[in-house]
Amino acid sequence: MKDLTDAMADMNEDKALELTQKYLDEGESPVEIFRAYQAAMEEIGKRFEQNLYFVPELIMAGEMMKAGAGLIKPHLKDDDDGGGAGKIGKFLIATIEGDIHDIGKNIMGMMLDLNGFEVMDLGVDVPLQKIVDAAKEFKPNVIGLSGLLTLAFDPMKALVDKLKDEGVRDDYKVIIGGAQMDQHVCDYVGADAWVTDAVAGVNQSKAWVAA
Amino acid sequence: MSDMNEVRKKQDAFLDKWISGEGIEFASEEAKNAYQERTGLLAAAFRIDDAIERVPVMPMTTFAPTMMKGISGKEAMYNPEAAGQAYLDFCNTFQPDAAGAAPMLMYGPALETLKYTLYKWPGQGVPDNLSYQFNEKEYMTQDEYDLLINDPTDFYLRYWMPRTHGALAPFASMPPIYGAMELPMLGPWLIGIGTPPMQEALAALMKAGKQCFDWINSMGAYLGQIMAAGFPFYAGGATKAPFDVISDSFRGTTQLMMDIFRRPEKVLEAVERLVEPMIAAGVAGAVANNNPIVFIPLHKGADGFMSNEQFEKFYWPTLKKVMYGLAEAGCIPGCFVEGGYNQRLEYLADTSDIRCMYLFDRTDMARAAELLGGKVCIAGGFPVSMILTATPEQVTEETKKLIDVAGKDKGYILSIGCALDEGKDETIKAFVDAAKKYGRY
Repeated sequence: MKDLTDAMADMNEDKALELTQKYLDEGESPVEIFRAYQAAMEEIGKRFEQNLYFVPELIMAGEMMKAGAGLIKPHLKDDDDGGGAGKIGKFLIATIEGDIHDIGKNIMGMMLDLNGFEVMDLGVDVPLQKIVDAAKEFKPNVIGLSGLLTLAFDPMKALVDKLKDEGVRDDYKVIIGGAQMDQHVCDYVGADAWVTDAVAGVNQSKAWVAA
Repeated sequence: MSDMNEVRKKQDAFLDKWISGEGIEFASEEAKNAYQERTGLLAAAFRIDDAIERVPVMPMTTFAPTMMKGISGKEAMYNPEAAGQAYLDFCNTFQPDAAGAAPMLMYGPALETLKYTLYKWPGQGVPDNLSYQFNEKEYMTQDEYDLLINDPTDFYLRYWMPRTHGALAPFASMPPIYGAMELPMLGPWLIGIGTPPMQEALAALMKAGKQCFDWINSMGAYLGQIMAAGFPFYAGGATKAPFDVISDSFRGTTQLMMDIFRRPEKVLEAVERLVEPMIAAGVAGAVANNNPIVFIPLHKGADGFMSNEQFEKFYWPTLKKVMYGLAEAGCIPGCFVEGGYNQRLEYLADTSDIRCMYLFDRTDMARAAELLGGKVCIAGGFPVSMILTATPEQVTEETKKLIDVAGKDKGYILSIGCALDEGKDETIKAFVDAAKKYGRY
């Protein structure tokens, strides 16, 4: 199904859906069709890292994935595992207390999900205690804090301090994301890594769970 | 397109008028001299004047002056006297070469009257101590491009404002105004104005207008004192790139990204249509405030948000048209380049035939200086993270480095890469002092 993978990787939304329906109508294995989508996602991720694709293409990829899944899911038998890929890790994400911006967080969540993470998204303006409590229950590998405002730095630092105070800092990797993130902020907050784009965040997270 | 020499002459004329300080009642002769020195430095940077004596320093501030005095974000937006005084104190304390535009804090009570939903602000969806925050949603559907393209004003009034200003929701039921050209056809529109919901909406609009009028008169006393003390404001007017208007306030970030693929011709028509309105918006403010600088925050064309091909096709041409339109009216387009433009720097040299400024945030300033130095006025690049997390010594050192890297060609204005919502006394002092100490040519 290279033509389907290529259509999706080339951002040809209509063709990708057309081919998906065609293969389903022809009785092809839904798992195989889903694999074609996953191959496209891998190619899209590669092109993003090569600076050929940018956020618009990631958004379109998410849309095509959603539309494709909508067509394929009814055809998947109960014991199909949607392509054979289990979850590679757990990621808890939130926009920190006081900040209501969510676009970056949403893109990150979508990319993590597409890359095999189980994602719990607590939303925006999430109080520190809620993040800590959710982490203790969900037991993620990584806690991701999103913040656009410089006013987010202190709450992020307070969250990391809280993890330390409750003796659970070492149970998680902490990554901070947002337009103003840099090494100064990372050091100040006490996070393990900082990113300003979702793909870098996903790659760092994948490296952590693989280690 | 006009003769560029004539355009630059118009810009220089407006700059000279601004430098003269006509109409300002200065507190003293020293204050007048200080004002003329500051505006002179900024103008010399815009002109890339070789005779410029030092690098002007212009930290852009939003909530920082109030936050640094322990005034909450809420009070800054509800108490114009406190806000105005804080802005005046900031100038007197730190002696920057330009003052921040306090009116950009806006006035909470007017927003409440309008039941405004485009932003959340302290006390209304955001904690009292913080700043206002954009509440991005899909405020224009994918099927409404033609409405915007065919009649932007009608789209604002009868479609978009009802969705973002709750008290103006009845405007969505107002009949179009066009029948008013004939007595027998005036009825429907006027009757529409007379319905109880519309009357309530108009009453809310009148109230919000009066609230803002009273607010600016209160704050105005302090703005007058800032100028009287010798500080120009860093902008007279403001506007946006047409693509950002649609991305930020109408379709939403991800929706417009999809529109680029799904209906590119509509996106192109829409951004073209917004050029004249955006020029008009910018010029109006500059003329009203007798200050030629028009502040243009750039958002969705940054590195990562699109490819260079998409930038060339959807973002840059209409931003350039707005910049040239402003220049033709004698204004100085001052782009605040949010995010990084490391992939876009070559494009910005296109506008080297007008006086203009690009103030950078996450862009590599060495590259910016290399590609744009001596061609357009470049500014900014000092990381806000250091203002908030570094020591004064580190800030001093970094400022000196930045001046050496970015200021070598002259035509450079030192600024922090982000409009400050907050600040620290010691680091801001270190920043401005270092600018004055190490910025002499």
